[in-house]
Amino acid sequence: MIRDITIGQYYRADSVIHSLDPRVKIVGTLLYIITLFVFSSFAGYAVAAVFFGILVFLSKVPLSYIIRGLKPVFFVLVFTAVLNLFWTPGESFFTWGVINLTWEGLYKAAFIALRLIFLVLGSSLMTFTTTPNQLTDALEKILRPLRYLHVPVHELAMMMSIALRFIPILVEETDKIMKAQAARGADFESGSMIRRLKSMVPILVPLFISAVHRANDLALAMDARCYHGGDGRTKMHPLRYSRQDFVAYAVCICYSLLIFVV
Amino acid sequence: MKKREMAKSDKRAAVVESHNLVHEYSRRDEEGNITGIVRALDGVDIQVKQGDFVAVLGANGSGKSTFAKHLNALLFPTEGAIYIDGMDTLEQENTLAVRQTAGMVFQNPDNQIIANIVEEDVGFGPENMGVPTEEILRRVEESLKETGMYEYRKHSPNRLSGGQKQRVAIAGIMAMRPKCIILDEATAMLDPSGRKSVLETIQRLNQKEHITIILITHYMEEAAKADYVYVMDQGRIALSGTPVEIFQETAKLAECRLEVPQVTQIVQRLRAAGVLVREDILYVEELAEVLVQMGNR
Repeated sequence: MIRDITIGQYYRADSVIHSLDPRVKIVGTLLYIITLFVFSSFAGYAVAAVFFGILVFLSKVPLSYIIRGLKPVFFVLVFTAVLNLFWTPGESFFTWGVINLTWEGLYKAAFIALRLIFLVLGSSLMTFTTTPNQLTDALEKILRPLRYLHVPVHELAMMMSIALRFIPILVEETDKIMKAQAARGADFESGSMIRRLKSMVPILVPLFISAVHRANDLALAMDARCYHGGDGRTKMHPLRYSRQDFVAYAVCICYSLLIFVV
Repeated sequence: MKKREMAKSDKRAAVVESHNLVHEYSRRDEEGNITGIVRALDGVDIQVKQGDFVAVLGANGSGKSTFAKHLNALLFPTEGAIYIDGMDTLEQENTLAVRQTAGMVFQNPDNQIIANIVEEDVGFGPENMGVPTEEILRRVEESLKETGMYEYRKHSPNRLSGGQKQRVAIAGIMAMRPKCIILDEATAMLDPSGRKSVLETIQRLNQKEHITIILITHYMEEAAKADYVYVMDQGRIALSGTPVEIFQETAKLAECRLEVPQVTQIVQRLRAAGVLVREDILYVEELAEVLVQMGNR
């Protein structure tokens, strides 16, 4: 159960979108997000919606999954929509006390809400079709030029993938420690907020100590296997563009041009 | 004595050779002042030939793990020297070659697997060594097949058992094409079936691929499978010999805080009671067979 925890929200399927190079997906998502901020008419959304619909269809990820991705941002969505609705000056159509609703406000609220929705949907389509490992690999490759500015790109990517590997292990360990403390009469559930926060200390201290031990062991194990940074390192599964990746790039560019025209 | 004779007649190259190896730790208080010096290794002389299966036995704190870390250039001698395949570990430019020649499997299975997918973890060593991609893929496939983990190649290591994780770790070392594998208490955290699968794997690698195995352990039963055993106590080699020779030295082993395996204990008590079974019996099945034969006679 607790071992099954997954980071990100990868949806396993065999589709064109899944098999694309992760770099294409990252760049494509970025382009898509930028284009969302370019157009100022609802016609743009129509194009974006059609484009997105085709992508979802190709990816074989059920639409309900993708829409579920909106849940965590629901509050932000409502909040921005309401703010825009009430505080946009213009021609009012409804007034009650201090509340003054305008047509412009309604328009703007709908517009911004749609923009946010498409933004979240687009980026979650990427995380649904790309494993965290692929994302790390792609980021390492895309950001590689930053090496010349002395940004430790390889090290950051390595840290990210190790963190991904150890999250389930540490989650399991937390569970073990909590049970051990509960067996000795610790109470994490009742009492005031402060009391409950205080009761986390006997969990966090052993967890930190164990994490440091693990890090030490892992560093030794990496040394023992000749790890010496990113220099002279080869890849078992190097990222290589194939024809479909170039086609995907072309599609992304066509789409962006289309949006600029609309 | 016997060992020296063997060394003379044996023309195989020594993979591991240590001369008067000494390692000292400084013990520090909270301000970082040195409060004492601990001699973890105190004049260790060991020679391991290519293709041997050697066990290093010792109780907790006997220095056996410190010794293991010297074999992999993770620790360096304070005095004396250690040569891996003729390379002095103290020479800095040898470090990577030493680590590639003598691969190390550690105790905790979780803390030595780096990647999120089994096959990528096995590829980690060759990736670091700069091996070309096609060659990595070939080596990974071979090593996973050799350790019997090929069908798990796409799995996440989190879903494997302890014994399986250790076999993945062994595959990860094998992919680096080492001459020698050191197992630093690699079975200590495993259940009996996991321990058995790991031991079978390394025995197979030893016999088929002629990989030198150095098994660091405190389980006598594991040491019984080796060709040659060194017993360590307080940083020194207290005893050395074949498993049969070693297990006769009950009193000396007790001094080293080690206990002879149950089978040997039974054999010794049987002999004391006048049942003259052979002295060199190491396994339960062997003893059972001998007893049945004696009964038939």
